[in-house]
Amino acid sequence: MKVLATYNIKGGVGKTSTAVNLAYLSAREGRRTLLWDLDPQAAATYLFRVRPRVKGGSHALVTRSWPLDAALKATDFDNLDLLPADFSYRNMDLDLDDTKKRTRRLGKLLSSVADDYDTVFLDCPPSVSLVSENVLHASDTLLVPLIPATLSLRTLDQLTRFVADSEGSRPEIVAFFSMADRRKRLHRDVIDTIPRDGTRIADTVIPSLAIIEQMAERRAPVSAFAPASRAALCYEQLWAEVRPS
Amino acid sequence: MTSAIRALQPPQGESLRLESMVHALSGRYVVVAGASRRVRRRRLDTFDRRLGCDGLALEHRNVATGERLVLSRADGSPTVTVTAEDLRWPALASALPPGPVRDAIAPVTGIRALMVVSDERRRIQSLALQNQDGKTVARVELDAPASPASAVPTEVTLYPLRGYDASARRAAALLTGAGLLPLARAAPPARPRPKLHGDDPSTVLLTTVLGGFLEAMGENLPGLLNDVDTEFLHDFRVAVRRTRSVLKLGRPALPQVMRSRWEPAFKWLGDLTTPVRDLDVYELDLPRLEGWLVSADAADLDAFATHLRIRRTAERRTLVRALRSTRYRRLVIEWGEELSLLASTPHHQTPGVEQQEPLSAGQLGSRCISRAHRRVARGGAAIGADSPAGDLHALRKRCKELRYALEVFAPVIDAAAGKRVIGDLKDLQDVLGRFQDSEVQRQALRGFAEEMMVDGTPAAAVLAMGELIGHLDLEQDRARREFDVAFARLERPSSLHLMHRLGGVT
Repeated sequence: MKVLATYNIKGGVGKTSTAVNLAYLSAREGRRTLLWDLDPQAAATYLFRVRPRVKGGSHALVTRSWPLDAALKATDFDNLDLLPADFSYRNMDLDLDDTKKRTRRLGKLLSSVADDYDTVFLDCPPSVSLVSENVLHASDTLLVPLIPATLSLRTLDQLTRFVADSEGSRPEIVAFFSMADRRKRLHRDVIDTIPRDGTRIADTVIPSLAIIEQMAERRAPVSAFAPASRAALCYEQLWAEVRPS
Repeated sequence: MTSAIRALQPPQGESLRLESMVHALSGRYVVVAGASRRVRRRRLDTFDRRLGCDGLALEHRNVATGERLVLSRADGSPTVTVTAEDLRWPALASALPPGPVRDAIAPVTGIRALMVVSDERRRIQSLALQNQDGKTVARVELDAPASPASAVPTEVTLYPLRGYDASARRAAALLTGAGLLPLARAAPPARPRPKLHGDDPSTVLLTTVLGGFLEAMGENLPGLLNDVDTEFLHDFRVAVRRTRSVLKLGRPALPQVMRSRWEPAFKWLGDLTTPVRDLDVYELDLPRLEGWLVSADAADLDAFATHLRIRRTAERRTLVRALRSTRYRRLVIEWGEELSLLASTPHHQTPGVEQQEPLSAGQLGSRCISRAHRRVARGGAAIGADSPAGDLHALRKRCKELRYALEVFAPVIDAAAGKRVIGDLKDLQDVLGRFQDSEVQRQALRGFAEEMMVDGTPAAAVLAMGELIGHLDLEQDRARREFDVAFARLERPSSLHLMHRLGGVT
């Protein structure tokens, strides 16, 4: 089982869109795929038309009062399941803080379904918190969407240091540009000049396109409702770059 | 755990209408009908139905958009679908595309190939049952034959979705409320097994078991000729070997013609199949042999693997030619006629029977088990520290005879006692098997190495084979050290007591 997390300290950079589309593509290839929506805003849960409710909430999940697999929901797509978000996830930090090995709890929970899935996506809330630390320990790859702007690069730098300073096994960081607008000079400049000798930067750039925003309206991955669209092709290219072997 | 997939069908003689199903479900769900699609559906399994026995169902579906492999499980785990390209059957699981389907199938099928067990063209209509949020909570498939002439009737399959069990249960209740019934799948017809009793004439038992072996040979022949997988030849050989043993065990009750004509005929058949089987064993064993290498590299055995393949191709040609020959065809036909004649001829009219008084199956069983056990006991007791390998090989053959006697006469002896004796006997056979296999393999490897050197094989390959021979020496020594314990277990008082109940200790 390979775990990929879409993560950024900043919000509104395309984490959920990436997680939803890549999870869909993974499942379409026949990989048994799980998407865990860790963000209490429950955007990924909404996109898959699942009700944002987990029995017992974050506390029951984290303390294992309820098994993880009891909370799983099939999506409308073959091979793709969802672990929905619940508004109680806003307290997940506190729930994790009360447990033993509090920075490895989510990884431990995931290991209980390791035989059921080939690929797991974690759609993370935008923060630096105990949940983030858990995500670092549980993930093999951290997918970091970046809006091509100077501040985003600073954020990537902070994130890279955060990962480097963490103890134990560290995920590989793969950053990629998201919501890019080639008409903007700043976006073009940042994309063209970003140093590529440090953190791995994917070649694929996800453009800012109205069809990606339509996901909320259509409540489905863009690759499902507009498979020939440019956005869908970009996500396919990105998946080809980051797909676990 | 998701609840199991439910298969339903209309009552016998009634047709199934999509409208009535939609009507039954639409009170509770928004029913969204997908486009009707034609599917070529090939159900796959191994010859011995390993997937079915393990609760797995694998289908190769050709639809307009491409090919799919669909794996479902009887326990209700989610169905897994993967895309596939250019799959040809039969094929080993290793030919499947890498991924979850292959991962689930390969450990179950092992060395057996996947074959098409049914091939139908179907028309499938999917229905998605959605809740108020437009979320699909269960799926229904109406699976009808594309041609009215099809023998497989229309089926309805209800697929529960993970986390929505209650919806699947409600949908099932709605469908059964509308008159659908649980699908009664016709089990494959079981081979009729006549009930045998100890006081039945021995020829009845012998012709029954020999007829069973003849059938097994016939069933395995097409797979053997087409080289579907190595187990067809193995099972064919087992049937031949058991036939030879029964002919030998049954001598007191069988006519002279069995000894004069049929024993040599089946010896010819057994010998015919030996070279290919031996080469199959080496090929199947290669991964294990590679694991033995310490100083040599696994790649050093590539030349050996190539040599085996070339030899096997040549030997198989000879085998296939013989099995397609008139001699083989006549053997099978006339053997079947011989068995029919024997089964229908009263004992006193059977020419050349050694025993004047008719022997019952029970009497023959006791006599055979007793004789075979005596030979094992005598042979085993004579084995000493310096006994040559040939003596252990002879004992192994005697053990096989005893094992076959216990299995052949199982219907007319104390079954529980027979099973326990076979358990002890298996341990001894395992030890003797490892001893003898090491001996044979060592000699064969030397022979192969000499052939390969003549062909100019690199020294690394020959050195690697030398390492294997060294390992086989150790393996043989280990088996030899275990012999005394295994033999003592078979001859301990409790085993002898069981043997006495079976007529084996006189």
